[in-house]
Amino acid sequence: MAETEERLRRTMMFVPGNNPAMVKDAGIYGADSIMFDLEDAVSMAEKDTARALVYEALKSQDYGNAELVVRINGDDTPYYHNDIKAMVKAGIDVIRLPKTETAEMIKTLEADVLAAEKEFGREEGSTHLMAAIESAKGVLNAPAIAAASDRMIGIALSAEDYTTDMKTHRYPDGAELEFARNMVLHAARAAGIAAFDTVFTNMDDTEGFYRETRYIHQLGFDGKSLVNPRQIAMVNEVYQPTAKEIANAKNVINAIEEARIKGSGVISMNGQMVDRPVVLRAQRVMRLAKASHLVDEEGNTIEK
Amino acid sequence: MNNEIVDLHLNDPQVRKTWEDFLTSLGITDFQSQETAAIDFTLGIYEGDRLVATGSAAGNILKYIGVCNKGVDQGSRFNTIVSALISRLFQQQIFHLFVFTKLKYSDSFQHVGFHELAHSDVAALLETGDSSIDDYLDAIPRVADQTNKRVAGIVMNANPFTQGHRYLVERAASENDVVYVFVVNTDASLFNTAERFELVKQGTADLKNVIVVNGGDYMVSYATFPAYFLPTPDQQVDYQTTLDARIFRDRIAPALNIKTRYLGTEPLSRTTGIYNQVLQRELPPQVAVKIVDRKTTTDGTIVTATAVRKAIADDQLDSLAALLPPSTINFINQHLESLQFRIKKGMNINGN
Amino acid sequence: MEIKQTALAGTLESSDIQIMLSKGTDGITIDLESDVEKQFGDQIRKVITDTLAEFDIDNVKVKAVDKGALDCVIKARTIAVAQRALQTQNQPAWEAF
Repeated sequence: MAETEERLRRTMMFVPGNNPAMVKDAGIYGADSIMFDLEDAVSMAEKDTARALVYEALKSQDYGNAELVVRINGDDTPYYHNDIKAMVKAGIDVIRLPKTETAEMIKTLEADVLAAEKEFGREEGSTHLMAAIESAKGVLNAPAIAAASDRMIGIALSAEDYTTDMKTHRYPDGAELEFARNMVLHAARAAGIAAFDTVFTNMDDTEGFYRETRYIHQLGFDGKSLVNPRQIAMVNEVYQPTAKEIANAKNVINAIEEARIKGSGVISMNGQMVDRPVVLRAQRVMRLAKASHLVDEEGNTIEK
Repeated sequence: MNNEIVDLHLNDPQVRKTWEDFLTSLGITDFQSQETAAIDFTLGIYEGDRLVATGSAAGNILKYIGVCNKGVDQGSRFNTIVSALISRLFQQQIFHLFVFTKLKYSDSFQHVGFHELAHSDVAALLETGDSSIDDYLDAIPRVADQTNKRVAGIVMNANPFTQGHRYLVERAASENDVVYVFVVNTDASLFNTAERFELVKQGTADLKNVIVVNGGDYMVSYATFPAYFLPTPDQQVDYQTTLDARIFRDRIAPALNIKTRYLGTEPLSRTTGIYNQVLQRELPPQVAVKIVDRKTTTDGTIVTATAVRKAIADDQLDSLAALLPPSTINFINQHLESLQFRIKKGMNINGN
Repeated sequence: MEIKQTALAGTLESSDIQIMLSKGTDGITIDLESDVEKQFGDQIRKVITDTLAEFDIDNVKVKAVDKGALDCVIKARTIAVAQRALQTQNQPAWEAF
């Protein structure tokens, strides 16, 4: 696991890497993560131009607090090594490897990234990694993949290729993805990294999008991959904590504060000891509440 | 996602129908095979199931560009489709592109970097890419003090070079200081460009004030101009020849100080007859037009290249001696087999 | 340095710039078509020229059609077209990035 402070990753917005208008504007929609795509969204003839464009954009544009991710081309393509070098040199936060099937692929990527960090004088270990799972083999190896490197921050299911590999296609109810979603999610949780659900491409089916987002929220995914900025507010709405959850979380936070002031090693609330998972959940709820503008930086409820 | 460029395979009847219906809705209705057969590839943009933009390329010519702007910024799909065509052609190492279009779209093309070569009331011809008409003109040889010389121009297909062509060139050479002979650059008929160019050079080698140059992309054989976007055949011929005449008048003649254009009379070809009429209408006063009567053989036969090609096809070489200069006769004798083979393979020998 | 072949990068879409390089005869010449030529023409030319200098290209014809590109886009497209023209797009010149 690459970091101690967990960050919100509700929305990972895909941005075609060779589209200047979209690359330029990617920061204005408030996505938690922005994923610049050098792979599927870029035709073979434009791999070099997309790489240069994303590089220059990363060097010059302000994307605020968003986590910046680049989906590079796979290690079976001639673009893989140059993609890694360019993105490491640009100072990208996270490199996403497509079509990950084995832990070895992540280990190889880690070595390639390390070599690039050395070549370009970037702090070693500062480039994080994530894996996209797009096949049956990848799903079955998900636990090993998720734990393959200390640089790993997340693992994502990519349903388009996966359903093809499974000789099916996507259905509205998502039954065909059930096993894969649970595998990816468990792999992520066991390794202590984030789990991202796949994209939902039918922009006309708003109801279907909400249904799917509520479902993966219920399962426990950190967030969802998105192809359209309009979907960001919809995901955030689903991930928004309820007033009751916030009130509970505040009680926990207050108890922590009280314990700190008292110098007590034990946090107690209503006569019960508060254990670590409860603390973590409370912190997460407060982060979500702040991100949803339901509470201010001090944790006070904002009246609407 | 929308605005994704896809290949349209026009040999698929379903795709072809969608494509024709879309263009027809935009007022482009001419899908005759002479226009569509030359298409090398066609691109399209769909929105959902609906085709909303298309464009094609035939060699280095953009064709059949049609765009529906409903619901999007004016020009955005046009830019996308033209951009994709240019990128695709560059990938194929085709770096110099032309478009023939309705006059009202000339601005749109200029807005994406094309330069207009000429326009008529209805149509315009534009180019873009790594070379331009200025580069072409810069490369043409000149004589010392050319601006003070009497300079004439002749444009010929010379398929192949006959005594008739020779007669025209001789006449111009005797009346001027310099004569440019432009050989039309097209490989659509029996003698290819390199062969025709060489035969003109050999056939005029003794005339010291004649400069033979390749017509390049700017003396396009007017018959190859795309005209599918104009409604009537009369309009088509008129527009094609008008554009051709205006490029000569406004771009080529001033650069080389050409003051006179020599033409042969065209008693046998209706379209060439129309062409000559248009030249007479368009060129003066900037460029004078001199029409020289067709050379006839001693028995009164009009010398035409068409007759020469027919004689080759029919293996009647005896009749050629009176029609051709020795250099052309030699070439035909040496290459008879390959010329006749081309005809057998279906090479069109009619036309000019 | 001379380029090896004519090359193109970028598109005519909004916020992009299409740049074409072909063999030059007279140093770097730039034929620029832009709606904001008056306001930003000099800046666009400067980004192109500076980026070409990173590749030591000093004799080339540039034809650029700008559709409102930011400097970083102009630079990225110039890098891409320079590498294509030098046939080095598979061995990027990282120092020029």
